Amino acid sequence: MVGPPHFRDLVWSVTFLLKLTLLFFIFRQRVYRVHPVFSAYVLFTVLQTALTASSLWRWGAQSAEYFGVAWGAQAVVLGARWLAVGEIARRAFAGYPGIRRLSTTVLYTVGMLIVIYSIALSPDRWDWALLHAVRAVELCIAIFVVTMLLFARYYRLALTGLERQLAIGFCLFSCSWVVTNSIFQSPRHPTGIWFEFFQILAFLATLLVWINAVRKPVQVPQPVSSAVLSPGMYGELSQQLDTRLRELNDRLSHLLHSKDSHP
Amino acid sequence: MTIPLLLFIALAVLLVLLLAWAAAPPKTAPLTPDEAFAALSQERHYARLPQILQSLREDDTEFMRARGHVKLLAQVREERKRIALRYLDYLQEEFRILVECSRILATLAPELAPKGEFERFQQNLRFLWTCHYLRWRLRLGMEPWDAFGTLSDMAGTMTLRLEAATARLAERSFSATDGR
Repeated sequence: MVGPPHFRDLVWSVTFLLKLTLLFFIFRQRVYRVHPVFSAYVLFTVLQTALTASSLWRWGAQSAEYFGVAWGAQAVVLGARWLAVGEIARRAFAGYPGIRRLSTTVLYTVGMLIVIYSIALSPDRWDWALLHAVRAVELCIAIFVVTMLLFARYYRLALTGLERQLAIGFCLFSCSWVVTNSIFQSPRHPTGIWFEFFQILAFLATLLVWINAVRKPVQVPQPVSSAVLSPGMYGELSQQLDTRLRELNDRLSHLLHSKDSHP
Repeated sequence: MTIPLLLFIALAVLLVLLLAWAAAPPKTAPLTPDEAFAALSQERHYARLPQILQSLREDDTEFMRARGHVKLLAQVREERKRIALRYLDYLQEEFRILVECSRILATLAPELAPKGEFERFQQNLRFLWTCHYLRWRLRLGMEPWDAFGTLSDMAGTMTLRLEAATARLAERSFSATDGR
């Protein structure tokens, strides 16, 4: 747990206040209409703090009851986080059916690979199985967000500032979780105090990013063109473009592989 | 700290770096479909390159060395470098427009072929890498003049073919979107 009780309480209070502030802006700017799952996620985190704090005061940090409540609440929040990230992706790719299908396939494949990677690299310690599982999920979320943003950048999709900042917040938090979790599992980890302190610090930073995102009026995304090419037409046009791209590349290769002739 | 743990931390750091790049607004504003197809149909500057490149052939300047005009020769070589770099700029610009068009097509397509998209992505990376590499080669004085000479023969026919394909592409795309 985080150091002396008064310091831990202070950190928890600040986090709790920031979560309430975030919730306040979500309702004030009516973000819940655009991002209902994200709004529910924030609500869950508020409830998580209240539930964890009350069970800590009631049963103590070493009790099995506190352990159950804390990890149970964490599982719910983690699930909600996944759904909130999925909501951002759904909104980002809305109106682009082809890109949405392709990205869904890529995102889930990458997610599966990361889970396999995490399982393969996790040390064989069953007492840390829960931490390993959470780390795998957090890594999945981070990869999912980054891949989604890479897709959006590559295809020049118009993401609103809100979606972008929400995605950044999720990814930063997940990455910090992976780092702190890995440091904690190292043989010479600082101590549990630092482990939890860094996590809370990362969450504070994430909350600030999100508050900054939701305090502005919600941007209505530009209507996406409803024109859709037929698969045949797309294939034909795509082939023509590919031919031209290849020709340009070949032209450049001629330059690259030419014989040097110095003056 | 064990290697697997270090790998996890390295992956997380890499993700943060990728996030910073992916979330940053792009340097150039994306072209609208109209702008992209209009840019494709415009006359390319390098359409006149066959004539320009012809004048850059090695044998065109060799006589200067023979006559002892070393300073003039250096000046001409410098000019060649400048022209070659500009040529690369034009190639890169055309490539950028083609890539923009392919992205616009992707946003309109009901389904994308993963293999085709991946190949295009590879082409994009290959082109960008080669372009940067060539630019540095030219700056370091390793001018591939022979290739430029060969290109002068290619450029004319290539440009004609590209212009014809572009006109067809724009025409069909517009009719496809208008018909909906």
